[in-house]
Amino acid sequence: MFSQNLREMLDLALFWEYRQILLAGLAFNFYVFAVSAVVAVSLGFLAALGRVNPLRPLRWLGAIHVETFRNAPDYVMLVWVHFVLPLLLSQMLGQRITFAPFVSAVIALGLVYSGYLAETFRTGIQAVPKGQIEAARACGMGGALIMRRIILPQAVRMMLPEAMNNFVSLFKATTIVSLITVPDLMYRVSMVTQQEMRPLPLYTGAAITYFLLIWGVAALARAGSERWRRKIWA
Amino acid sequence: MADAASTPPCVEVVDLHKRFGPLEVLRGVSTRVDRGSVVSIIGASGSGKSTLLRCINYLELPTSGEVRIDGEAVGFERRPDGQVRKRSAREIARFRQDLGMVFQQFNLWPHLTVLGNVVEAPLRVRGMPKREAMELGRACLARVQLSEKADEYPARLSGGQQQRVAIARALAMQPKVMLFDEATSALDPELTGEVLEVMRGLAADGTTMIVVTHEMAFAREVSDRAIYLHNGLIEEEGPPAQVFGDPKSDRCRQFLAKLLH
Amino acid sequence: MGNWERLVWNQRDVLLQGLLVTIEICAIAFAVAIVMGLGLALIRLYVRPLRWIAGFWIEYCRATPIFVQLMWVNYVWPELIGWPTSFYTAGWVALALQSSGYLAETFRAGIENIGRGQREAAAAVGMSPILAFRRIVLPQVLVMIAPTIVTQFTVIVKSSTLVSVITVQDLMFQSQRLVNVWYEPIEILTATAALYILFIFAVSALGKALADRLRLRYGLGT
Ligand SMILES: Nc1ncnc2c1ncn2[C@@H]1O[C@H](COP(=O)(O)OP(=O)(O)OP(=O)(O)O)[C@@H](O)[C@H]1O
Ligand SMILES: [Mg+2]
Repeated sequence: MFSQNLREMLDLALFWEYRQILLAGLAFNFYVFAVSAVVAVSLGFLAALGRVNPLRPLRWLGAIHVETFRNAPDYVMLVWVHFVLPLLLSQMLGQRITFAPFVSAVIALGLVYSGYLAETFRTGIQAVPKGQIEAARACGMGGALIMRRIILPQAVRMMLPEAMNNFVSLFKATTIVSLITVPDLMYRVSMVTQQEMRPLPLYTGAAITYFLLIWGVAALARAGSERWRRKIWA
Repeated sequence: MADAASTPPCVEVVDLHKRFGPLEVLRGVSTRVDRGSVVSIIGASGSGKSTLLRCINYLELPTSGEVRIDGEAVGFERRPDGQVRKRSAREIARFRQDLGMVFQQFNLWPHLTVLGNVVEAPLRVRGMPKREAMELGRACLARVQLSEKADEYPARLSGGQQQRVAIARALAMQPKVMLFDEATSALDPELTGEVLEVMRGLAADGTTMIVVTHEMAFAREVSDRAIYLHNGLIEEEGPPAQVFGDPKSDRCRQFLAKLLH
Repeated sequence: MGNWERLVWNQRDVLLQGLLVTIEICAIAFAVAIVMGLGLALIRLYVRPLRWIAGFWIEYCRATPIFVQLMWVNYVWPELIGWPTSFYTAGWVALALQSSGYLAETFRAGIENIGRGQREAAAAVGMSPILAFRRIVLPQVLVMIAPTIVTQFTVIVKSSTLVSVITVQDLMFQSQRLVNVWYEPIEILTATAALYILFIFAVSALGKALADRLRLRYGLGT
């Protein structure tokens, strides 16, 4: 029985049969990833700037942002943004508002990963030795110029590996958007499973697909960021 | 204006105080540095030498007192109507352009080439055209004898070379005054010579300089005036021959005697 | 305020019950993950013939999203090997699998970090390799990687919210059930989110404090 099951599991013909539908699903994972990555990077950078700011209220705001979203489970955030946030906005604006599942997904994942990325950015920013910043100030450079010309070029390289980890996690998290009916790969797998009643090859196929994709991309990203980091001055 | 005596001194420090919490590091320092002169500051560790330099270019905010560059107060503006207004960070940054600072730890920017370090401020702060900035940068590197290293990254240079780049970077701002904070203290003994040589050259060219140093022989040789700082106060001040050769203050005498051993 | 009382405070028993299930399933998954992670690390380091299998397994666990893993264990394993037979078991198995991959890599890095000198010193006083590992290497590794282990527990708690999808009655499940009963999601879901955030914040703050104390006690600084 076991070997028969194994053959069925490895018989990914069914998975292959639905390849077009499934691929279209995978594309949704990428859409969600791309848009939430933009949201997460922008918000995360702002939060990091808050956390390293000399002004105490801004530091507090940054810390609250980071601690809230970094400690929020993806799924809880997803459900909250999809079912609660529109209601709150409706109450505030006095008109009915709903979010398309895609929008909720992007907001929720963007918020959660902005928390992780903010910490990554902050670590990178603070890793630039203080003396270099003093030297820049002594040359008459202002805060924005120092950030752009002295801190960021170094911080980006230092935080790249960790940021890559954050992005890989974000991509993995996109698989849960099926739970609010964004038609991604997992969503379509469960639809097809209900039609065909054969979860074995379908879920196995999905697992293998995600594994190969994420493992491959993560390995590439690791190698790439290491090479870039080692380049020149170090 | 024609009369030298009527022009204000290049740098004037008036009753400067600085405290860090309960610790009063500067307790009322006043002095003046004339254009083209070299003033050296000596004193025991913790006497406030670095703090004084850092207050002069407002890297540290003085608790009270005044710093004037060419007669203009750095920290605040006296309006003609007699009102006093604190200057913004942006305005203070403008004053810093007139003060070149060289740190003990070089503090070069490792992601920029040597030339990149030198032209960064002229390009981005002064807004100089690129060609002009490059020319200026190369000229400054020539003054510290590092023309051939222009395209290297700082990490590839020796400590002495790095410090010379830092000097070139400060010179490129074409400052009115150069501030040196123990520029040779982080260097191996055999590398201090090349940096002191460059500083000697600057002094000979008539650069106005304030030099915090532990190199007593150098201080005695190049400076027009020496200041001995003790516990945040000027304890002894005068021509180097007097301060180093025949100090009036016992503490200064003891300090110098200790150094000789 | 009335809503908060009616929907959240009066339902506190249900929610707390859910929280208990969350804590329970996370604790089980965490314990299993640590044992599995250590086992995988040791195999990868010392059992040459099985090295590549362990390596592959670790990579697989690390690179597969937890939700996919959960579905896979829940739907595929029972058909394939007749186990797990309950959703609850499928839940902690998936959570443990995921974390075991990360922990294995952490253990491996930690063990490799303890130099040969330590092992040789232990051998020199007559310890067997196994005794040396247990008494000399492992304690040092644990102190060193304590912060990562704490982080991994918070990852498990976050991922555990997904077991509600396969009807394990954890906090997330109970809260969504309440929403379906009352059709008033604002208070219930907000309270649930706050509860999770506070819980995970508390766990990581506490864990970090413990890990720091441990490291400080052995002079490893903060
Ligand atoms: N940012 C700061 N916060 C608190 N205390 C400070 C700070 N900077 C300097 N101090 C204190 O001020 C005192 C004077 O420091 P300063 O660096 O000016 O001494 P120094 O004369 O330059 O000594 P050294 O020869 O060791 O460089 C020291 O006691 C130092 O601990
Ligand atoms: Mg000093």
